[in-house]
Amino acid sequence: MANPFKNLSFSRQILPALAVLGLIVAAAFISGTLPNRELTEPEREPPRATGDLANSARIAGSGVVEPSSEVIAIGTALSGLVTDLLVQPGDFVSQGQPLFTVDTRAIRSQLAEANSAIAEAQAAISEARTAQTTAIRQLDLYRNVSDPAAVSRAEVIRAEGDAMAAGERLNLARARLGAAQARASSIQTELGRATVRAPMAGQILSVDIRPGEFLSTGGGGSQNIIEMGETRPLHIRIDVDEEQAPRVDLGAPAIVSPRGAAENQVSASFVRAEPVVVPKRQLTNTAAERVDVRVLQIIYALPDSARENFRVGQQVDAFIPATGDEG
Amino acid sequence: MNWIAIRMLTGDAQKFYGLLFGIAFSTLLITQQLTVFVNLIERGASGVYNEPTADVWVMDEVSRTTDVNFPMPSTALDSVRGVEGVEWAVPHLRANASVRTREGDLEGVTVIGVDDATLIGLPARMAEGSADVLSQPDTVIIDDVGVGNLFEAGQSPIGVRLELNDQRAVIRGVADAIPSFTSQVSLYTKYSQALQYVPGTRNRLSFILVSAADGITPQQLADRIQADTGLRARTRDQFARDGVDFIIENTGIPINFGITVVLGFIVGVAIVGLTFSLFIRDNIKQFGALKAIGVRNGKIRGMVATQAGMVGLIGYALGLLGTVGFIWGNSGSAFFKGFYIPWEVPLISLVAMIVIITITGWLALRGVMKTEPAAVFR
Repeated sequence: MANPFKNLSFSRQILPALAVLGLIVAAAFISGTLPNRELTEPEREPPRATGDLANSARIAGSGVVEPSSEVIAIGTALSGLVTDLLVQPGDFVSQGQPLFTVDTRAIRSQLAEANSAIAEAQAAISEARTAQTTAIRQLDLYRNVSDPAAVSRAEVIRAEGDAMAAGERLNLARARLGAAQARASSIQTELGRATVRAPMAGQILSVDIRPGEFLSTGGGGSQNIIEMGETRPLHIRIDVDEEQAPRVDLGAPAIVSPRGAAENQVSASFVRAEPVVVPKRQLTNTAAERVDVRVLQIIYALPDSARENFRVGQQVDAFIPATGDEG
Repeated sequence: MNWIAIRMLTGDAQKFYGLLFGIAFSTLLITQQLTVFVNLIERGASGVYNEPTADVWVMDEVSRTTDVNFPMPSTALDSVRGVEGVEWAVPHLRANASVRTREGDLEGVTVIGVDDATLIGLPARMAEGSADVLSQPDTVIIDDVGVGNLFEAGQSPIGVRLELNDQRAVIRGVADAIPSFTSQVSLYTKYSQALQYVPGTRNRLSFILVSAADGITPQQLADRIQADTGLRARTRDQFARDGVDFIIENTGIPINFGITVVLGFIVGVAIVGLTFSLFIRDNIKQFGALKAIGVRNGKIRGMVATQAGMVGLIGYALGLLGTVGFIWGNSGSAFFKGFYIPWEVPLISLVAMIVIITITGWLALRGVMKTEPAAVFR
């Protein structure tokens, strides 16, 4: 063993060395390829209960954002073409502010008709008044004749009849005027109905008409012309499974975050719980309706500071404190 | 003295390599078969391990594995979210559907619906594209094994349109996922989209993925969810184990692989035992001579142990290298995707090899011990 290279034996020296090397390589390969089954944190923030709620009894629910007045679908009193649209989605309107008008040409022509009927009635009145004056003067003339032979009795009777008839004609003409004025005022009212006004102060949420489109009063609800509602403050309507409903701590504020932006959590104050437990409305957008689950709807008010992150109709995840009696 | 033993061992190259071959072959057989076996049955847990974030899986009471599940009503999600100690909980849908390809072929697929907002439920890595493509309408992400099943080699799946339950589905990404036991194509999509793709019963929610809050172990959380909601809750490891158990119970795989492993062991014992015994017997004269010059039995035992140890070491290393080479060489194929050598397997085969060597060495030694120094003269 003086010179190891001289006596180098494949089976005695190289092979064992190779074996040890092979073991090291294999160990490295095995430890290097072990699957990574470490748990990781999700990349996007999922909704979670925070603060005091994280470690106390709570109930989760999902819901939608709605105006505090709920959504008002504005209707039209008259059918007709839309001639003027005065608001845009997002506008804040005050009570009584005009929203849109339907075509008023037919009504205006009726108004012109009614006005000419008024003028006609007024003319008829003055004509009747003139006739009455003439008849009365005629009658007075006959009455003032002292000689009974000068005017026959029949003449007098005719003059009296003329005077009375003239009076009646005047009354008729006045009645006509009244009728024509009433008609004019009812057409004025109709003209007012052609302009649809905001029933309350609020925000315009959607506008689904454009000038030139035809609106009809019939049908009812098939078409949302304009939707508006009071968005100061916004409310959210949370669905809570009826099985969980008895545990809800009514009155306590809830932690709410919009779907997909769970980091924007806000605390919403309790408003009321709906008195009716309703079948769960499908919030997952599937065609199939599911009606086996009933939910209690609880209304919460969002703080004003959260208005930027919440929009009407948006889905939200909520955590509500529970009374800790059970489970 | 041990040097003499090694010279003795390597003196007859034929027998030496025969011994090496025997050990290496049985090590290879045991290690490789155990590796394939473990990986194959762990395919039953791939659905669980592909999801990298959830501590606990919540399901209907009767659900057994990721693929054998019974859906729950959608409000189950809220009741789980309400359980104390739940950090977060998201819906997860797994269902089978049939897809029609552009060529008109029919292919069974697993539609996996992940949470719309957070995309929790997707595999950790994407092979092609990013997970954000799910925000585009009608998007599905296919898993890389599915690409091989559904498309011809070299054909890019990106942008291909499929038909799922009369709906349009466009592949916009490829996920890097471990295939399932059946190697079925997996299509990942958003939960709301998956509801459209899977022809539906009333209830759709297959699983709820839950993460435990700090300060509570997944096991405690699972117990609590189970007590509070009446749903079945399994920790990640338990549920993975469920998937493995399901395959063990419902297939003949354990028996088949068990037989092969036993065969490997028997072959090892037979070849090595015979060769080693013959080798010792051939060298009985030398041992006799050693005894004649006063070497004690203890020393001879040490010599035989050295010989056995050397053969064992080299043979084992060769067998292990063979397995490593096998796994490494096949890592590109879809069938072996994600295969790895669990560190326990080489230890098991090491123990098996030591047992083989010990048995054969002991058998061979019996003759030597009885040898009288006079044997050298016979």
